[in-house]
Amino acid sequence: MPDSAYFLPAALLLGIPFLTFFFLWLGGKSLNTAAGYLGTAATISGLLISFWYADPATLHIVKFNWLVIGNKVIELSFRFDRLTCIMLAIVHFVAALVQIYSVSYMHGDKNVHRYYAFLQLFLFSMVGIVVAGSLLVMYMFWELVGLSSYLLIGFWYFKKRTVWAAQKAFVLNRIGDAAFLTGILMLFYYTGSTDFEVIPGKLWELSPGLVTAIGLCLFGGCMGKSAQFPLSGWLPDAMEGPTPVSALIHAATMVAAGIFLLARISFMLTFEARLVILAIGTITMLTGAVKAINEWDIKRVLAYSTMSQLGLMVVAVGFGSWQTAMFHLATHAFFKAGLFLSAGSVIHAVTPSEENTAFDPQNMRSMGGLKKSLPITFLCFSICAAALAGLPFFSGFLSKDAIITEGFLWAEEVGPLAYIFLLIVVFSAGLTAYYMTRQVWLVFFGEKRYSGTQSVHPHESPATMWIPMVLLAALSLFIWFSFNPFNASGWFLHFLDPTESAHLFWVPILATGTTILFIFLAYRQISGPNPFGIGSAETKVNFLEKININWLRDYSQDRYFIVPFAAIAGYFKKLEARAIDSLVEFVAKGSVVTAHVISWVDRNVVDGGVNLTVYTIRSAGNAARGLQNGKIQSYYLVTITGVFLLVLWLFFA
Amino acid sequence: MLGAAAVALWPSKQAGHFRIVALVTLLIEALLAVFLFLNFDNQDFAHQMAETTDWITLPIGSLGIVSIDYALAVDGISFPLVLLAVIVLLAGVVSSWEISQKTRAYFSLYLLLTGSVIGCFLAQDFFLFYLFFEFMLLPMYFLIGLWGGPRREYAALKFFIYTFFGSLLILIVMIGLYLSVIDPLETARVVGIMGMEDAIHPDLIPQIQQWLIDGKIAPEQIVHTFRFQYLADPGNYLPGSLLHLASQYFVGDIPLRLLAFWFLFIGFAVKLPVFPVHTWLPDAHVEAPTPISVVLAGILLKIGGYGFIRIVDGFFPLEAQHSAIPLAILGMISIVYGGFNALGQTDLKKMIAYSSVSHMGFVLLGIAAFTAEGLNGAIYQMVSHGILSAMLFLLAGVVYDRTHDRNIDHYRGLISVMPQYTIITGIAFFASLGLPGFSGFVGEIFTLMGAFQSDALPAWIPALSTLGIVLAAAYFLWTYQRMFFGSFWYKNGDSSVLTDLTVREKTLLIPLAILTVLLGILPGILFNMTGPTIEAWLRGLNH
Repeated sequence: MPDSAYFLPAALLLGIPFLTFFFLWLGGKSLNTAAGYLGTAATISGLLISFWYADPATLHIVKFNWLVIGNKVIELSFRFDRLTCIMLAIVHFVAALVQIYSVSYMHGDKNVHRYYAFLQLFLFSMVGIVVAGSLLVMYMFWELVGLSSYLLIGFWYFKKRTVWAAQKAFVLNRIGDAAFLTGILMLFYYTGSTDFEVIPGKLWELSPGLVTAIGLCLFGGCMGKSAQFPLSGWLPDAMEGPTPVSALIHAATMVAAGIFLLARISFMLTFEARLVILAIGTITMLTGAVKAINEWDIKRVLAYSTMSQLGLMVVAVGFGSWQTAMFHLATHAFFKAGLFLSAGSVIHAVTPSEENTAFDPQNMRSMGGLKKSLPITFLCFSICAAALAGLPFFSGFLSKDAIITEGFLWAEEVGPLAYIFLLIVVFSAGLTAYYMTRQVWLVFFGEKRYSGTQSVHPHESPATMWIPMVLLAALSLFIWFSFNPFNASGWFLHFLDPTESAHLFWVPILATGTTILFIFLAYRQISGPNPFGIGSAETKVNFLEKININWLRDYSQDRYFIVPFAAIAGYFKKLEARAIDSLVEFVAKGSVVTAHVISWVDRNVVDGGVNLTVYTIRSAGNAARGLQNGKIQSYYLVTITGVFLLVLWLFFA
Repeated sequence: MLGAAAVALWPSKQAGHFRIVALVTLLIEALLAVFLFLNFDNQDFAHQMAETTDWITLPIGSLGIVSIDYALAVDGISFPLVLLAVIVLLAGVVSSWEISQKTRAYFSLYLLLTGSVIGCFLAQDFFLFYLFFEFMLLPMYFLIGLWGGPRREYAALKFFIYTFFGSLLILIVMIGLYLSVIDPLETARVVGIMGMEDAIHPDLIPQIQQWLIDGKIAPEQIVHTFRFQYLADPGNYLPGSLLHLASQYFVGDIPLRLLAFWFLFIGFAVKLPVFPVHTWLPDAHVEAPTPISVVLAGILLKIGGYGFIRIVDGFFPLEAQHSAIPLAILGMISIVYGGFNALGQTDLKKMIAYSSVSHMGFVLLGIAAFTAEGLNGAIYQMVSHGILSAMLFLLAGVVYDRTHDRNIDHYRGLISVMPQYTIITGIAFFASLGLPGFSGFVGEIFTLMGAFQSDALPAWIPALSTLGIVLAAAYFLWTYQRMFFGSFWYKNGDSSVLTDLTVREKTLLIPLAILTVLLGILPGILFNMTGPTIEAWLRGLNH
C-alpha cells in the first residue's frame, strides 16, 4: 500500500543525517567542538523517530516517480516493515553510541568536523539501504555507503597505507557491485521492476535457471560489502581507519548490509543459488577464523573474526534461514561493536605519550597484563568476547545455536554430504573460542610487555568512552533476545517470523562442548612455556606457511586482483602504442613512400610529355602549402568570404 | 535562429579585447539558449523553432534538380546537446583567459568553432550538417597545432587525418543518399500539382510518392534533397536508386545499403571515438591547450554520437538493428579497453582521455541497443560526460598551468597545499566513476539497462560492460590517491607555484559541479526532453 503517512518519517530519517552532513562539512573547523554533540543529537533523534513510527505488524510503502523513460516509469520506493524496524534500531543505536565514544576518542584531531560529517553521510546512506523499497534504490544508497566508507577509512589521509586501504575497499566493493548491478538490470529486463513488492508476483514466470543466475548476481553485491571470499581482502586493511569507524561500519552496520540484502531477496534464492552461497560462506568463515588465530594486531584479529562471523551469517542464508542470519546479525552488531570500542580503549591506553615510531600500539605483543589498569575495559571486552565465542548465557550462544539448529534441519532434508558444512560450522565456532581466548589472554593477562617503553602509561578511558562500551556489553547478554538462555527461539526470532520455531535440545550441548574443548586447547597454550609463540621472533614461520597454503595467505592481498589488472592495463598500453598506433603510422608512412615513388615515376618517366600538368600540380601544391604554413589569415579570409556571401545571400535572396 | 546569430557574429572581430568579444558572443548564445529552453515544449516531438530558407537550387539536366536548404531547428535529440555545447563553449572561453599569444587568431578561430559546433546540432539538412562538420576540423586543427604542447604538430595532423578520413566516408554516403532521395514538396511544385504558395495538403506527399513508384515523373523534374526529414522517410527514395530500401546493388556480397551504413558508422566512430579508431584522441588531448581539450572532450565527441542517432540510425534503421551485435561489441571493447588503458597511464590528461573512450563506449552501447532506454541513456550519457570531461580537463589544466607537468607520479599529497582543488577533483572523480547522485551514474545505468532490454543483444555484452564501472573506480581512485594523499611532495622542487584555485577557476568549476549533481538527482530534466522525441521516432520506425 502506498502510504502517505510514512512520507514524513522517510523524509526525516534520510533528511536529518544528510543535512547534518552538509552543515558539518561546510561548517569548517569552527564546528570541531560542537560536531560530536550535534552528530549524536541528530542520530538520537533518528533513533526516536524510528521507535515512534515503528509498526512492525504492517507494511508501509512510500513511493514517487523518479522519471519516465519510454513507456517505463522508474519509481523510487521506500518501505517500512519488520526488517526495517530492527535494522533502523540497530543502526541508530550503535551509531549514537559510537559517536558519543568518538567525542573523547577523536578529541584533538583537527578535522573532527569532517569526521562527524562523514559519519552522518554514512548514516544517511545506511538508512537509505534499510528503508529502500526496491533494489534500484538500494543500489544507489549501497554505492553511497561505499563512498562514506572510503572517506572514513581514509580519514587520516596523510598516511599512505590508510588511503591505499580505502581505495582497495572501494574497488573490491565495486567488483561486487558490478555483479549486483547486472542482477538488477536483468531483473528489470525480465520482470520490469525491482520493487520488492512486484518481483515475487512475477518470479514464477521465469525459468529456475534464470532466477538462480539473477540471485547469484545479486549475491555479488553481498560478497563485496560483507567481505565474502574472494572479495574479502579489504576488510582487514580497512582497520587503518579510526577505531570507532571500524566498530560502526566494519563490524556492526555496513558489512551487515550484505546480509540484509540477502534477507530481502531470500525469496528469489533457489536451492542451487543457496548452495553456492553456502559454499562461499563456508570458505569465508573458515579462512577468517584460521587467519584470526595467527594475527598479532588487536584490530585485525577482530576484523578477521568479523569476516568469519559474516561468513556464518551467509551460511545461515545458505541453510535457507534468513531469520537466524538476521538474529546473528543483531547479536553480532552489539558484541562486535563492543569489542571494537573496547579495543579502541586499549589502544588509547597504550598509545605512548610522545612520538615513538618503533612502538605499535595495536600490536598485542606489546600489551599484556592490562587487567589491573583497565578494569572496565577488561570487563566489557571479556563479556563481548564470551558472546562472540558462544559461551552460554550470552547472546552469541543463542544466535549460533539457532544457525546450527537450522543447519541440522537442512542437512536432514538434503542428505549425508550436507553434514560436511555443519562440521565446518561447528569447527569454526570452536576456532572462534580459541582465538578469543588467545586475544583476551594476550591483552589483559600475563606479564606487562609494554613496560620496557617509558612513555606508555595505561589508564582507564573517560566515561564518555566506557559508557557506550558498558551498554554494548550489557546487550551481549542472553536476556535481551530470549528469556531461556538455552533456547534460541525466543522473542526475537518470533518477532522476525512468528512461524519460525525450531529447537533441538542437544545442539546447545554440542556447541558448548566444542567451545569448552577449544578454550581448553587455548588454555594449554597459555600454561605452556611459550604461549601462542609470543616469545618467538615475529618472523617465525607459522603453521599456515608450513603447510604452504599460499593462496590462503595471498588471496586477500594484491595478487589476485591488482596484479592481473595492472598487467592487463600495461599490456593494453603497449598494444596501443606498438600495434594500433604503429599500424596507423605504417599506413601513413607507406602512403608517403608511395607518394615519393609515384613522384619519382612522375619525374623520370612521364616527365617529358606532361610538363604542363606537373606545373599545374606544383602550383596547386604551393597554394595548399601556403594554407598550411600557419598563415591562418589566408585561410581565414577564405572562410570569412564564404560566410559573408552566405549571410548576404540569406538576407537578400 | 541561434545558428544565424552565431554566424552573423563571426566577422565582428575588430582590434582590441578579443576575449571580451568572444565572451560576450558566448553569453549572447547562452541567453538565446536559455530563451530556447524556456520555450521548448517537451511534449512536442516535432522540430521546433525551425528556420528554413532555400539556399541553392540548381537544375542539372537529366540528373534532376539540386536543392540544398539552409534549415535549422531543434528537437528533443539535438536540444540537450545544444545546451551542452553552449555550457561547454562558455567554460572554454573563460578558461582561455590566459591565452596570451596571437589572441586575435585564437578567439576568432574559437568563435568559428563555436558556430560550426552549434550549427552541426541545429542543421536539418545533410549538406549543411556536413558543411558545419567539416568547418569544425580546420579551426580545431589550428587551435591544436598553434597553441598546443611540444608535439602539437604531430597531434594536430593526426587529428586532422583521422577525422578527415572519417568525413570522406560520410561524404560518399551523403552523395549516394542525395542521388536516391527526392524532396516531395519541391517536386510537386516543379511537376505542377501544387502552386508555389499553396498550403501543404496532407495527401500530397503519399501522392507524389505513388507517382514516383509508377515512374510518372520525368528525371528532369525530380528535385533531389539533403533534408533530414525526407531522408528518413523510405517513401522518398527513388525506385531502383542506389540506396533504395529494396536496393539490388551489391559490392561483392555486401548489399550497398549495408556498406553505406558501415561507411557512415566508421565516419562517426572516428569522432566518438570507438576502438580501434580512437588513437587520435589521447594525442590530441595531451597536446591541446586546456580550453581546447575541454571543448574537444566536452562537445566535439558528442557530434559523433549525435550523428549516430540522427543520421546512421535515422536513415539506416534496419541496418542498424541488423548490426546491433557488432556495434555493441565495439562499444563493450571501447569501455573495457579504454578503462584498462586509463589504468595504465601516468599522464593525467591521457588518463582522462582514455576514460573518455571508456565513457563514450557506453554511448555506443546504448545506441546499439536501439531501445528507448538505450537511446535516451546515450543522449544523457553524452550530456553527462560533456559536463564531467569538461570539469576533468579544467582540473588537469589547473596543475598544468602552475607547473607545466602533468605526470601523476610527480605529485603527492596535494591536499595539504590545495585543499579546495582536492575537494572539487574528488567530486569530479566520484561523479565520473558513476556514483549515484551524480549524472554519470544515470547515464551508465540507462545505457546498460537499454542494452539489457534490447532483444537483439545477448546479456553477456552489457554484463561484461559493467567491468567498465569497476575499472573507472580503479583508475580514478588510484590517480586520486597518488596525486592528492600522503605527505606533500613535488618532484621538480619549487612547490610554491602550487597554489589553490583562483576565483576564475572556481567560478568555472563550481557551476559544473552543481550541474552534475542536479542532473544526477533530477534526471527528468533531460529525459522529459529526449523521451517524447525518441518515443515518437521509434514508433514511426515500427510502422
